[in-house]
Amino acid sequence: MSEEFNTEGMLDMYLLENGQLLESLQETVLNQKDAECFDEDAINEIFRTMHTIKGSSGIMMFDNVTKIAHKLEDIFYYLRESKPDNVPHLELVSYVLDVADFISAEMDKIRDGNEPDGDPTKMIGKLDDFLKQIKHEITKDDKKELPPENVYVAPNQFYIAPVSSNESRFYQIIITFRPDTQMSNIRAYSAVYALKEIAEDMIYYPEDIVSNENSAEIILRHGFRMLLQAQASQEEIRPMIDTCADIEKIDIREVTSDGFLNSDFLKPIEIDLDSPIEEVERKAAETEQEEEPNKKAKDVAPGDYVIQSKEPGKAKQLNKNKPAKASKQSFISVNVEKMDELMDLIGELVIAEAVVLQNPDLKVPGLELQNFQKAARQLSKISADLQDVIMSMRMMPLTTTFQKMNRIVFDASRKLEKDIELEVIGENTEVDKNIIEHISDPLMHLIRNAVDHGIETPAERAAAGKRDKGKVTLLAKNEGGKVWITVQDNGAGMDRSKILKKARKNGLLGNKNPETMTDKEVYQFITYPGFSTNETVTEFSGRGVGMDVVVKNIQTIGGTLDIDSIPGEGSTMTMKIPLTLAIIDGIVMETAGSYFVVETGIVKSFVNAREDMMIHEPDGEEYIMIREECYPVIRLGEYFSLTNEKIAVEDGMMVLIELEEKTICILVDKLLGEQEIVVKPIPQYIKKVRGLSGCTQLGDGSIALILDPASLIG
Amino acid sequence: MSDLLNMELLDEDKDAQKGRYMTFKSGNEYFAIGIQYVDEIIQFQKITVVPETADYIKGLINIRGKIVPVIDVSLRFKQPPFEYNERTCIIVINVKSTVVGLIVERIAEVVTIEEENILPPPSLGRTDKDSNKFVYGIGKVGDSVKLMLDPDKLLHDEDVNAVDQASTYTEAEE
Repeated sequence: MSEEFNTEGMLDMYLLENGQLLESLQETVLNQKDAECFDEDAINEIFRTMHTIKGSSGIMMFDNVTKIAHKLEDIFYYLRESKPDNVPHLELVSYVLDVADFISAEMDKIRDGNEPDGDPTKMIGKLDDFLKQIKHEITKDDKKELPPENVYVAPNQFYIAPVSSNESRFYQIIITFRPDTQMSNIRAYSAVYALKEIAEDMIYYPEDIVSNENSAEIILRHGFRMLLQAQASQEEIRPMIDTCADIEKIDIREVTSDGFLNSDFLKPIEIDLDSPIEEVERKAAETEQEEEPNKKAKDVAPGDYVIQSKEPGKAKQLNKNKPAKASKQSFISVNVEKMDELMDLIGELVIAEAVVLQNPDLKVPGLELQNFQKAARQLSKISADLQDVIMSMRMMPLTTTFQKMNRIVFDASRKLEKDIELEVIGENTEVDKNIIEHISDPLMHLIRNAVDHGIETPAERAAAGKRDKGKVTLLAKNEGGKVWITVQDNGAGMDRSKILKKARKNGLLGNKNPETMTDKEVYQFITYPGFSTNETVTEFSGRGVGMDVVVKNIQTIGGTLDIDSIPGEGSTMTMKIPLTLAIIDGIVMETAGSYFVVETGIVKSFVNAREDMMIHEPDGEEYIMIREECYPVIRLGEYFSLTNEKIAVEDGMMVLIELEEKTICILVDKLLGEQEIVVKPIPQYIKKVRGLSGCTQLGDGSIALILDPASLIG
Repeated sequence: MSDLLNMELLDEDKDAQKGRYMTFKSGNEYFAIGIQYVDEIIQFQKITVVPETADYIKGLINIRGKIVPVIDVSLRFKQPPFEYNERTCIIVINVKSTVVGLIVERIAEVVTIEEENILPPPSLGRTDKDSNKFVYGIGKVGDSVKLMLDPDKLLHDEDVNAVDQASTYTEAEE
């Protein structure tokens, strides 16, 4: 029985699996949060999830997690078996989410190498109360369905003939383990060991549980059978055996001493071994016949670990479902570094391909290269496909990110006592993995803002004559090489005068005339640091640190934020973010012998400037007047101290770039063209340079530096 | 992590590379660098200037798709600059996963220097203070003398802290 496991790997697996389980659990719960109650599938799924988490946490010895998962499992077990009406659904939803949060928090601690020391006692207490409450309600409504409450303590007492005490009692005990239990023989032995204390006599089958490894399989298949003579009552025995999470079911039956001695209880297995499951079932049904009338009562008892007591065969099937499901979606996780390496290699391949196909040796006049050209075309096609594949490998759907938002809307709307639904459209839109990591936070902010500031309270809505529910729409779509993520609410919209008032108070207006400003310009004020029109600070927003951070985060990935609002009808925030950070469309420019790239999307126009358009300030600052507008000018060569020479503006080219409503002019020596470029970071050895965001390799192998427009403008 | 990796590499190549040093000339001295740090030697190629960096950081080069910073060793040693020509070479070294190209005036040979032939640097020497800190010893090869370079110090010593922070940052990210 050598037992070599790598705890490290097990822990990783535990965290990964349970993380996924919890995620899908939340999804299920939130999907049905607005329904009357959970449907059967959902109840089954939550039950199974909790059961799995309980089991694996038990193995990993995270007791707190085990306990709380067990408690929730009890509730859902009850729900499944007795199908009570009148369950306060919202309350139940929040309990499930609370438990999921608790387990997630514990798992975070484990992941960080800390002890999972959260105390579940309070929550378990709450869950207990809840369970009692729903049980109680049913008792009131329909007495037949539920046995009196003391069943909770002693589930089996109904079908046991009372015997006089002070005598030895005889019990038949069958312990059934979950079909996937490891080393069930050892676990069975622990039950034997526990009972030794009180046992006056004890026989069990299989007998050789410790020495014979095969006994584990027999136990799994037929249960572990014991005959026990002891003075203890059933209620005392049960908890002694019921020590591990892998026990699916404990069946204790009291028999007479005759039955004890003559019983062939220990030998039913010989018949069973080769018989089909149905027969086993039938036999099981027979032996359990006397219990039938009380079956229901027994099933609802918590503490009973029955998964499918009526159909023993089915429990197995249930569990078999899972691995099959896992193998369907065959994912492997790959180190991102390896992906980058592959991407570099493909980049090199493309360059090498160009070197071969455009090799000067081929340009001999009159050379017939038909076959070569054919092969070359094939090669080009393959390398183009390769590029597509590697790009698609980095793309991930926004689904998980959007699902998180579901939860936020739910939590916030409940705490704020607003009735809000979230509509999600286009969640399958794919975005580069790096970008997904960056948009989660800003998106969360926008959603919270919509829920908190956007949607009015039910009273306000009624007063405004709005009959529909508060609704937040989260929409993602591909548009013009970018991904647009829109957060739209049907709330009050933004108040122009309120924003202007606040802007004036904070001195943001400057010398602008509020009368002539467009609505969009006014709305831009909310993205200024320290701006919040919400008078009261709530848990969710109102500290005014939100929007400026949101905008900054979006800018770091080369995106923009559009704000629009119709008073009385709601606001719309649109993030426009690039599909990928890895490849951008760029304009290549040359200045002072160096190449620079600026993203095509932000270039407004190119201007051949004349000296008479220039305005020179005494301190050396320069401005340019283009079509009655005045823009600051940056001479790129001087900005980066590449040259001291001031070129005449007529010899250079002005590039107007616009970002967040601000426009500047960049003066470069000449334009080289537009092309798709693969963005690479500047090597770490060179510290971060202001105004640059990365570098890239041009077609001829030379290197160009990518401008960071946000820091040039800022 | 990078340390570990490097250690492994060192272990692997130890036997073949022990005591072998790449030597090059800069100014009037010959310098030696452990051959285990040397990735390759490439011909001089066009360097893209990166603005606002130390003067000895000449910029970036493109080695088969990898973008690698290059430094001028003589500027690093505060020696007078020299003109680059097509015979100038770049030694690409890899120190703890940092890949950097060294522009050197002339590459000499690969020599074997036994450990007992490496003496600690003179505390009061002819070499000025600045170049001394990159040199951890004086290696004797026959009649000639090589200055033993500490590549780690060569790449970062003025900004040890900044770089350390940067590397811990990346490690944490990993």
